[in-house]
Formats: sequence, structure tokens, C-alpha cells
Amino acid sequence: MGKEIIFSAHGICKAFGPTRALIDVDFSIYRGEVHGLIGENGSGKSTFSSIAAGAQSLDSGTFTLKGQPYSPKNMVDAQNHGIGMIVQEQGTIGSISVASNIFTGRMKENSKFGFLSMKQLNEKAQIILNNIGAGDINASLLTSSLNFEDRKIVEIARVMVADPDVLIVDETTTALAMKGRKILYNLIEKFKSENKAVIFISHDLNELIEICDRVTVLRDGRIIDTLEGDNISEDNMRRLMVGRELDGHYFRNDYICSYDDEIVLEAKQITYGPFTNLDLQLHKGEILGITGLSECGMHELGKVLFGIEKTITGSVTIPAKNVEIKNPTIAIKNRIGYLSKDRDRESIILNASIKDNIELPCMDKLKGPLGFISTKSERKLAREQIEVLQIKCRNSEQLLTELSGGNKQKVVFSKWLACDSDVLILDCATRGIDVGVKAAIYRLLEDLKSKGKSVILISEELPEMIGMSDRMLIMQNGKITAEFKRSPELKEEDIIKYMI
Amino acid sequence: MQDIVHETGLDIDEMLNRKAKRRELLMTFLPFCGLALTVIILSVVTKGLLLKPENLVNIMNQCFTTAIVSLGAAFVYAHGGIDFSVGASCGVAQMVCIFLVSSKGLPLPIGMLAAIVIGVTCALIVGMASYWLHLQPFVVSLCVRSACAGILIAGTNALGKNIRVPLEIFGIFNNDTVKIITLVILIAITWYLFEKTSVGKTEKAIGGNRTTTWQSGLPIGRNILYAYLIMGICVGIAAVFQMSRAGMVTSNSGIGIEFNILIALALGGFPMSGGASAKIRSMLVGALTITFLTNGLIIAGLAMEYVNIVKGLLFITVIAVSYDRTNLKQVVFM
Repeated sequence: MGKEIIFSAHGICKAFGPTRALIDVDFSIYRGEVHGLIGENGSGKSTFSSIAAGAQSLDSGTFTLKGQPYSPKNMVDAQNHGIGMIVQEQGTIGSISVASNIFTGRMKENSKFGFLSMKQLNEKAQIILNNIGAGDINASLLTSSLNFEDRKIVEIARVMVADPDVLIVDETTTALAMKGRKILYNLIEKFKSENKAVIFISHDLNELIEICDRVTVLRDGRIIDTLEGDNISEDNMRRLMVGRELDGHYFRNDYICSYDDEIVLEAKQITYGPFTNLDLQLHKGEILGITGLSECGMHELGKVLFGIEKTITGSVTIPAKNVEIKNPTIAIKNRIGYLSKDRDRESIILNASIKDNIELPCMDKLKGPLGFISTKSERKLAREQIEVLQIKCRNSEQLLTELSGGNKQKVVFSKWLACDSDVLILDCATRGIDVGVKAAIYRLLEDLKSKGKSVILISEELPEMIGMSDRMLIMQNGKITAEFKRSPELKEEDIIKYMI
Repeated sequence: MQDIVHETGLDIDEMLNRKAKRRELLMTFLPFCGLALTVIILSVVTKGLLLKPENLVNIMNQCFTTAIVSLGAAFVYAHGGIDFSVGASCGVAQMVCIFLVSSKGLPLPIGMLAAIVIGVTCALIVGMASYWLHLQPFVVSLCVRSACAGILIAGTNALGKNIRVPLEIFGIFNNDTVKIITLVILIAITWYLFEKTSVGKTEKAIGGNRTTTWQSGLPIGRNILYAYLIMGICVGIAAVFQMSRAGMVTSNSGIGIEFNILIALALGGFPMSGGASAKIRSMLVGALTITFLTNGLIIAGLAMEYVNIVKGLLFITVIAVSYDRTNLKQVVFM
């Protein structure tokens, strides 16, 4: 019978103003196939999938779906034709019910004479939720009462309303913990067995190897290659994405747990949100990993350590200086830096230049007499950092909106390197970042460690935890359930049992 | 083969650079073009009357108040704040000043100081209420405006409706040389603060992203108050000059300054929501454009009511046009 192509794209081009996001992209996917799509940030994979799902228009090129020409007018139209996409960033409306979210844009079809039966809508939504294995979410609840992960699951349910033939999963797994991932993997299996197709976008190479039949690599808006079978390997994918051999090691290549005895940051009996009476010590020259499920309290812990959120009991101090960290201003004065999980909203100013962003925490350093800050000194500071971290940009005046995710992340690092931070608190520093920049960040952490700086690495990615940290704290429901020292024997399974 | 790919890659890069530069130039010069166009069209319509020396002196005088207040307002708008009370508080400042100097016989410097104190107090009320009570600065400023307008009417009624400003005392403030020197000094100071110190840079950072600014260790509350403080001082200074020029203080004194500032903002290309692209220069270009426009239309024979209609429509038009121009994403007017 042979393989039947269910969806294909021919010569797709798309430009955003002066940026060419897609250049002559040809792509096809068979029935019963899970097709991976990878590339560094800004390579065009998300643009491609959002055009296919009707979220954006294309400049030129054509799509063919089930043998018919296909040009979606919007996302609902795309869904009606049989293409549904689960998107990268959170896209549910908090102030309405779960059921209303699931049926967004489809209210008319579910109402009679302009009246909408909420009861019917809730029942229908509950059936969909049950079908994807998320029966524990009540469809009549207000969406804002759900946690981040369950809201993501609601988005999955929304796509299933129209019963799509082609499902696009755009980096959804990065936002999902175990429960959501399981639902998604089951769904993908179901699609395969029903002879439908899945386009799967992810940065997680292991995940891609595990579930994809073929993997297409994009770079700078062009298709570079499509891998099949045994050719789908981490090395091959990395090489094609970056466009050159990644030299040397990826994580740290030593297995020695090493740090000074001096304590540079200490939390005693702190309480905030999910955790109570928590103790923590960070040593000089130490990379301290903190991991757990997304709601275990580790993100909040990072915020308290930096003084963004106030602890109800106890204190966060720098013992040597006898300073209590009460707010970010004190933290920064004492050379602590913080990178937020929500980078675009909390760590950078998108509509400002690289220079403006880098100088934020270190304006005091640039000040001359009368508070004068010369453009020359500002530019020099920015240029140094651009060079050290190899930020891809035109010049220090380029706006951050125009940079790729990885390069934005480098700018955040620059901020803290420029003011010579001794302690860095990194909350998901490599989340949604491509391998090239990831490797660069790991080298940077090694370098900081060798200079006697300390790092708190908060992350959900276990390979990164095991690969980088000297000491690991595992959190579950606001408590530290285990502590591991760096060792070559440590495996992910050992850690996971303390997380769940 | 690889070389060719590499070359086209470079070409695309260069093309992007050129386009970005062109866009930047356009954004910089568009407000100037707007000013030039306004002057050219209105001089034709008024058959050259607009650019007669005596009218230019007029325009300088009319522009003066808007320009001075806008210099201070730049700091407030840069951090995403807004103040609709400046016109009314300027009126109250004038009334208190003339009351202290004329009725109470206090020396002029005390009167000036009082005007500045009134300007600063009103501005700080807006600033503090919006920061500590988490109210929209727009709403607070409307309340302050309403209160000030009431005080102004009650006060001027009590003092005899049209209060004459004795020129033998205030004459110095109606001297063109003094005005020009004052304006130059104020531009120099505000430009320095705005572009070259951490005060201005922090205001712009707050406008760009408040959370990021706070997480970068910069104190938000203090800087918001700095902005309102600077604007209040400017309002006080403008008050003394405006009453000296008008020769009297009435219940209409100061009226409409806030709206002129808003249009100056739009015409000068100053971002409504603040942020890194805010420039003192934009405020001045905008202030000049709106003054030429108002003056020109009146010379051309349009009644004041109609001029106000034109201003309102113009504001919306400019914002609509600038929205298109910036491709909706790089929002200049948010």
C-alpha cells in the first residue's frame, strides 16, 4: 500500500519586516508518522508550525492537506480542516471556565437561538478531558484556579475538540511535568495507531529520539536535512542544528565534588508559599543544583534567596558580611545576580537596547562626577560583554526584541557578569534554549566556578543537574527530600524517586 | 557551494542592517518633517503671516509654557506615568503666587517659591497615590485636577475674579531675553538628567519593564517620585511666567496645558508608554509643532473651539498613523 502523504508544504517563505524567518521550505509528513522538527531558536520551526496551524499568514508557497490545497484563514479554520496545534506559551484565559476555554471560538456552534447552555458545554468539555486522560480536571472550574500544568492540559484538550488529523506539538513538553507529558505521549501514540500524524517540536533531543520516526532540522529559516531511523542521534542533530561540530564536552567532564568551606549565602528557617522552615547553604566555588517538579517550591525559593519575595520566618544572609538579603537592591549591592524563569517578563526590557539592558544593575559603577554616565563608558561595557559571551547582534544599540531567545539569555548573563556578581541564582537558565547556547552557558558556569564564584542552578532538567552541579538538593512539596553529591554513579532514576 | 551560501547569508545580514538603519532614521526625522510640514502649510494658508517676526515672538511666548512643562513631563511619561492635573495645578500656583505677592505684600522670591511648592505638591500627590495605593495615575490626576479647578474658581472668586498681575513686580518674567535664558538652562538641566544620569535612565527602564527594573536593584518608588518632583518644579516655573505674560490670573489660568502636552508627546514621537526610545528632543519638537499649529490656525481665522476640534482629531490621527508605521509590534504608542 505504501506510505500516504497526509500533509505537505511547498516553497514556503515568510518574512517579518526585514527578518526572513522561512526561506523556500519544503516539508511532508506521512500518515501514522511522528515527525520531529528541530533547530536553534530563531531557526523558523515555530514560524512554520504556526503558519500551518493558521496562526500566521504566509508570504508565498502552498500547502497540501489530504490531497487538497489548504490555506487556513485562522486557527479555528485550520482546526476545521484537520490541523490543530498545541502552542509553546501559555494561552488560556484565566477569568473564564475550563469548558469555555476548550470551546473558545466555537461558541456559536454550541448555542441555540443565541443561547449557550453552559451545562451542555461543561459535559462536552468533560468528555474531551476524560478522553485524553485528564478526568481529574473539572471542566466547570474557573481556569485561573488551575495550576500552570493543568492549564497546559486544557490547551491540549482545546485542540482535541475538532478531532484533528495532524497534531502540531510546539515545545509543549518543556512546560509540562510528568503528568502532562504522560498525557501527551499517550495522545501521540493514539494518533499513530489511528493512522493520523504528529509534527513534534522540541529542544529535548532524547525525547525526539524516543518518539519520532523522522526528524527534520531547520537552520536560519532553511531545511538542512531530514534524518531517519538510526541516523536520528544526538550528535547528528546537534551537528546539523549548529552547522558545525561542537567541540569538546557538553556538561562538566570532571566528577569531583569541589568547593571551599566558606559559606557565601545562607538561608535559615525560611518560609514562603510552598515551603516552610527551609535551610540552605551555598559555598564559595560551588554549583548547587536544586530540582524537583515544577510546583515543588524551587522557583519560589530562588526568588526568596534574591530578596524578590519576603520570607515570613527566618532570614537569608551572607554570613561573612553579616548582611541580610531583604530586597534585590541589597542582593545586588552584595554581588548576587538572579535570572528569572520568565525571562522576557522579568529579566530583560524587550524594547530597549542591549546596552540599556546590560547597564541596568551596574549604573553606579559607570557614574562619574555629578552622576554623569558617558555614552562611551556605556558602549564599552556592552561591547566587552558582547565579545565575552559572543552575543549575535549588529551592535550594542540593537533592541532585544530583535534577538533570538538564546541571545536574550546571554544578555541576562551579561548583566550579572558586568557587575561582577559573586553569586548567580539561575532559575531555568537553559529552558527553551538551543544546544549551541546551552553548551556556551555550561562552559561559562565552569569558568565562573573556577574563578571561585558560586552558582545556584534551579532546573527541571535532570541531565543538566547531574552534569553540572557539585551538590544537588531534591525538593518535593516544599521540602528538601534528598541531597546528592557529584558522582559518576548518580542516575536520573535515583533522583526521580525523591521528586514524586 | 558552501561559499555561495555564506555570501548570501552576509548579503541578508547587510540588507537587514541597512533596513534597520533606515527605519531608525525615519523614526528620528519624521517628527521634524511633521514640524516642517506644519510650518510650510500654515505659512501658505496664512499668506506668510505665520513667519512674520512679530508673530514668531508670539509663538515663542506661546510655546514657552508648553515647552517648560513638557520638559518635566518627559520624566513622568518616560516611566509610563501620566498627569492630567498640570493645567489646573499651574492655575492654582498662579493664584497663590499673586495672592502672596499682591495681597500680602510678600517679596517676589517667596511668591515664586510658593508657586513651585504648589506645583510639586500636586504632582507628588499623583505620584504617591499611584505608587503606594496602586491607583492608575490617570485617575488620581483627574481627581487632583478636579480639586485644583475647584480651588482656582473659589479662590479667584474670593479675590475678585480677574486678578491683575502688577507688571512693575512681575515684568522681569515677561522679558524675552530672560525667557530664552531660562528655557536654555532648563533644557540643559533636564537633558542632562534625562539622558546622562541614572535618574533618566531608570525612568526609561521602569517604562520599559517595571519588574525587570526592580529585579535589577533599582528603586521604583523613589524614581517615580523623582519624576513627579521634577515635573512639579517645571509646572511652578511655568506658572510664574504664564501669569506675567497674561497680566492677570483668572479661573481659566493654566487651562489646557495637559492636553497640549499630550499632543506634543504624540507629534514629537515620544512613546506614550515610556521606555528606552523616550527623548527630551521629542517633547520639544512636539511642543513647537503644536504651538505653530494652534497659532497658525487662529491667524488663519479659525475660532478657538474649532482649533480644539482639530487638535483632538489630530491626536487620534497621529496615533493611528504611528501604529501602522511601527508594524504593531514595536509599539511607540501603546
